[in-house]
Formats: sequence, C-alpha cells, structure tokens
Amino acid sequence: MSITAQPDVIDRLAGIAADSPVAALRRQKPDLVAFAQGSYDALLEPVRPGEVSLLERHAIAYRVGLLTGFDMVAAQHEGLLRELGAGDDLIEAIAAFPASDGLEPRLAALLRHTDLVTTAPGTAEAEDIAALHAAGLTPAAVVTVGQLIGFLAYQIRAIAVARAFGEETR
Amino acid sequence: MSTRQRPRFSTVPFAWQPWTSTIAESDASPAQWAVLDEVVPAMKTNPYYLLLAHDPEPLRQRTGLFNGIMKGEGGSPRADRELAAVAASRVNGCVYCASVHARAYNQLTGDTEQIQRLLDEGVGTPLGERERAIVNLAVKLTNAPAELGAADLQPLRDLGLSDLEILDITNSAAIFAWANRLLQTLGESTTGDG
Repeated sequence: MSITAQPDVIDRLAGIAADSPVAALRRQKPDLVAFAQGSYDALLEPVRPGEVSLLERHAIAYRVGLLTGFDMVAAQHEGLLRELGAGDDLIEAIAAFPASDGLEPRLAALLRHTDLVTTAPGTAEAEDIAALHAAGLTPAAVVTVGQLIGFLAYQIRAIAVARAFGEETR
Repeated sequence: MSTRQRPRFSTVPFAWQPWTSTIAESDASPAQWAVLDEVVPAMKTNPYYLLLAHDPEPLRQRTGLFNGIMKGEGGSPRADRELAAVAASRVNGCVYCASVHARAYNQLTGDTEQIQRLLDEGVGTPLGERERAIVNLAVKLTNAPAELGAADLQPLRDLGLSDLEILDITNSAAIFAWANRLLQTLGESTTGDG
C-alpha cells in the first residue's frame, strides 16, 4: 500500500524519497508537513513579496545555508538568486559578508541581521531593529525578515532530523 | 551597545515588549486584524501577536505548525515536548519561552524540581534517565544541527520510544529555534509591568 506522499521542501532538501520510511513517518502528522511547506511558501515563494523582495529573501536564505553548514539549502537559494538575475559578484559578496564591498546598504543591513539572528539570537538589542529601520525597512518588513530567518532555523533542524532518521531506516 | 539587564530564568510569567510598532499603532488592513481572530483569538491583544500580524500568512502557517507540534494528537506525551521546548529555550536564552513551557511541563507532570534545576543551573543539571535523553537530543539539535546523526536518536530508542515519539520531541526543539528567535530578536522579555 502506498499513501501518495508529495515530496515537500524538507524531504527534498534532506534527500528523502517520497516512498521512504522517513517520508511515511513525517506524514503520520500530515498537518505538520503542510504547515511547514505553507511557511516555506509564504516566506520564500510568496505570490506578492511586498516590501521584502524575492532577491532579498533568497539572499537571506542562501546566507543561512552557508552559516549553518546546510550546503543543500545554500545551493537551492544560490540557484534561485541566479534565476532572479544575480551574478557571481553578488553571490560571492553575500558569501564573503561582512568582508565584501559593493553590497547595497539595505542588503548589507539584512545580512548583518541574518548573521545575528542565526548565530547569536540571545545577544540582539533594540538597536539591531533600529538599524533595519535606518536601512529603510518598515515595521512590517522587519517582521517578515524575522519570520523568514526564524523559519529557516526551524527548517534546517527539520532537515537534520529527517536525515538522521534516513541514516537508520534507509 | 546597551547594557540591558536580562531577567533570570524563572517559572514566573514574563511580559514582552516589541522593539518596533505593532499593527495597533499603524494603519492596519482588515486582513491583518482578521488573522488574529482566526489563529490566536484568545491572545489578540498580546503585543507579540499584534506585532506578528504585520505579515498575516507566515503567522497563520507558523501558528498551525506550532500548535500541531505542541498539542497534536498521537506521538509523544505532551510533557516530553514541553521538556524539549524548555531545554531549547534555556540554551538559546529565551526566558519568556522557558517560563511558559516550564509551567506547562510542571502542570502535566507534577514534578517541579527537575525543571527548577534546569532553569537555575542549565541543561547540564542532573536529570532522570528519560529526561536526560530528551534534553540531550534537544540540546544537540539546538546547538549543532548539522552534526545530528542516527546515533543521537539511539538513546531514546533504547528507552523504548517510537520513531513518532522521537520525531515529536525533535519537532518541539526545532520549532523553538524559530520561536526563541522571534521573542529574542523582535523585542524583549520584561518582569511584570516593566
């Protein structure tokens, strides 16, 4: 018997096949799979990106993939950045941040915040949000960016867990 | 940088203050108000949710994910999920989350002593065997997700937990990687009226 499991973004990035035991395990709680995918769609592939552009969203996700050692996350968003027209210079500048020149001040502010929230969330201060406002982000854009970086922190861990189960039940 | 005094970990309820304006201080759209009625009707005046309502769809999806992970039927006992949440929050430094979920754990188990030590001394404090295995997995996933492997699941397997129970525990630690970041980087926990 087979439940027709649709591979979601977490399965794909974890290298989990749709008919694998791990995919079936995750689908014992189908609402969690759906809400995780829904979060991905809302934050990384929104129909109306609004105040935070798709390029900015994928730049943040690319950076999170690099910072956390989740190469497949970095590769996915590098590919999406290139689809949006990003060239080698921009990709390299995001990877080399903060030791990189030529980034727009707004993108530099977003990457600085990405690094802070990903690697040292307990050290954030009100000044860090003020810095995003100074770079032109509205309160709504600040929330979108916070949700995006937070979601990625969840997603890499969900990938790590799927991979760990996959090691055992291959 | 400011030298803000951070509250100590405690089971006392904290308040939370955003570092930017919420939809209550802006020209909010009907959709922004509606998401609060839809997903957090009992907490729609809470500043945290008034802030997150700026972007309705991520709030809708994240709340569904959060509630499903923490309260969903089947899988691990809810106390195990609460313990993983407290461990992740203790490591990340989120006093607000740690307090809420420490109280939930205490209420579910009637055991206040282990959680109090975990809050006071940190995740290395002596715990029972089952509690230790849950905390170890939550801490590993919090601190070093890229290094997680099958060996990290084995101690809970050896204690007789099913794959679904273990998955629930990891999902709790993982959703607190998200929740702790929201609470700690969009505002600050304050003691009572602060």
